[in-house]
Amino acid sequence: MTFTIDYLALAPELVIVGTLLVVFTLDMVLTRPKKFWIATAAVAGTALAAIPLVILGVQGETRSMFDGSYVVDEFALVLKGLFIVAAYLVLLMSHHYIESERYYQGEYYFLLLASVLGSLVMASSRDLIILFIGLELTTAPLFLLTGWRKGDAKSNEASLKYFILGVLSTAILLYGMSFLYGLTGEITFSGLAEATAGRGDEPAMVMAILFVIVGFGFKIAAVPFHFWAPDTYEGAPTPITAYLSVNSKIAGFVALLLMLYIALPGVSEVWAPALWILAALSMTVGNLSALRQTNIVRLLAYSSVAQAGFMLVPFAAAAVVGADLEEAFAATVVYLAIYAVMNLGAFAVVIAGARKTRSGELSAWAGLAQVDSRLGVLVAVFFFSLAGIPPLAGWFAKFAMFRSVMIAGGTTTVVLAVIAAVNAVIALYYYAKVVKTVWVDDPTGEFVEDVEAAPAVSLRLALWVSLALTVAIGFFPALVTFVGDASRVIAVGG
Amino acid sequence: MTFSAWISEPINWIFLLVGLVVLASGFRVVTAKNVVHAALLLVAALAGTAGLFLMLAAEFVAWVLVLVYIGAVIVLFLFGIMITRAPTGQDEGLDSEKKVVPALLSVGVFVLMAWGSIDAFGTTLVGATGDPISTELIGESLLGRFVIPFEVVSFVLLAALIGSITLARKDLTPIEEEEGRRV
Repeated sequence: MTFTIDYLALAPELVIVGTLLVVFTLDMVLTRPKKFWIATAAVAGTALAAIPLVILGVQGETRSMFDGSYVVDEFALVLKGLFIVAAYLVLLMSHHYIESERYYQGEYYFLLLASVLGSLVMASSRDLIILFIGLELTTAPLFLLTGWRKGDAKSNEASLKYFILGVLSTAILLYGMSFLYGLTGEITFSGLAEATAGRGDEPAMVMAILFVIVGFGFKIAAVPFHFWAPDTYEGAPTPITAYLSVNSKIAGFVALLLMLYIALPGVSEVWAPALWILAALSMTVGNLSALRQTNIVRLLAYSSVAQAGFMLVPFAAAAVVGADLEEAFAATVVYLAIYAVMNLGAFAVVIAGARKTRSGELSAWAGLAQVDSRLGVLVAVFFFSLAGIPPLAGWFAKFAMFRSVMIAGGTTTVVLAVIAAVNAVIALYYYAKVVKTVWVDDPTGEFVEDVEAAPAVSLRLALWVSLALTVAIGFFPALVTFVGDASRVIAVGG
Repeated sequence: MTFSAWISEPINWIFLLVGLVVLASGFRVVTAKNVVHAALLLVAALAGTAGLFLMLAAEFVAWVLVLVYIGAVIVLFLFGIMITRAPTGQDEGLDSEKKVVPALLSVGVFVLMAWGSIDAFGTTLVGATGDPISTELIGESLLGRFVIPFEVVSFVLLAALIGSITLARKDLTPIEEEEGRRV
């Protein structure tokens, strides 16, 4: 049997492949003063990959390859767009950070682009093998990148913890997937959906699904599988932390939701309660731990654990009461898109601020707005947006979440909604505390005030892009509702 | 099927023998006090697993296990032990105080998975459908139906290779760099 390859559908991936090979070749021929060309090539290539995405989006037809296991539909395109925009912002944040601290540059961009390639492949996957390998390519380079600050013991610890737990979670996930294959003989999602329907009472099926959820639980850092996250986030280079908390987390989420929504809707009675517990625990434990943090990166780490809980809410709520999952799926994807923009903004501001404070400790950030009010405004915008305060983008994410929960209805759903609401208030406290520290408190030490401490052009661009998106989405939520609409028409393929 | 009927078939003697070898060597891998012994016992465990795959007519997987794991990974283990100057004799440090909980956990997971599998398949014979999958067929499908994961895996390997070289290499000092050596 022969298969044809649709090169236009694969064009975004191929552009990224080309870029990472160019980056790698450039690294071998350029001397240190000219290394900035590597970063330029990486940024340009990532931007270039958006062009075929737009062409495919304008054509608007669903392209399916290899028996429907690789599908490029509107949902895949929207996610690929999200991954590319987020990767673009991370590359902009990385440039000056990597150059000034004398890290290996060519290999850094190579690994980062390899990870982006993995997430693009994953967004199109409609079978277990491509999904798994795409997810592995997304996370495997990050094991190495978290340890990029070689001289720093914290970075080494971060890398090792992430690696060991990442490998463990991969093994568990793979066990679950092979059990699913063994029980059904199917690897495509459409085949699995048919073969698993109504078999939720078989112990082996329950075990397979729970293994899959535990495996993904580690990837998205949901409580109780989150304990690697704070140490890894703190030790990794900050742009990589941003990437971990956005791209790799979203990739894990998308993989999990794709499997549950398309491959396993017939056994929702098995995974819905597990998801419900994960959501409630992640929100509560994440937020309560964030309250006690004194380091801004650790605070963002726990905040992203809590945000993962919020993202799980619509799906868990709808599935527990057996409501239509379409609305929940759309709400989650909208939440993911908004979270990506504002969280990247928050990390960009942390990188910019850390150049002046020379520390991630919150106490060193006190009174930063007195010396740099623009940076102070940015801190306020991104942290209030994460808290969900209108008119910044975060409110619409929370709104979409609660709306889908209310559409689902039912007692267990309302309980989860109440937990989410209480947690939204707790979260406001520690996000506002950061803003208060920056604006109201008196400085405890000296800030670095030289040319070196000013944000580089690339970092400024990253800040402007995420600021513009955060504010624009807040005022015109219609800008992202198309993301949700695109995910409603998800094609199963096959 | 009763046990006496099962054991009367010669193929099952081999299965029993290989299974016991895998089990015993696997157990000794974790209890051995000498890292070199543990690595060599792992060879026995993997060879036994390859044997089980051969009995299932999965020759490709069996030979991959032999070539990649026994031929490359274990050799790397031994090199790693030699190069890092880890103690190669008896090493009491290999014994962990906290071995009870992980041991119970492993047994628990085993019981869970064994029970799940037995419950799902019981004594039903899962017969082979059609001819055994030959290496040729696997090669064809890797470059046909599964070409995307096949190509993507090569990037996983490339990334792992480049990243680990970068992390493991000795950094140049600024003076060495001045002398024109590239980083």
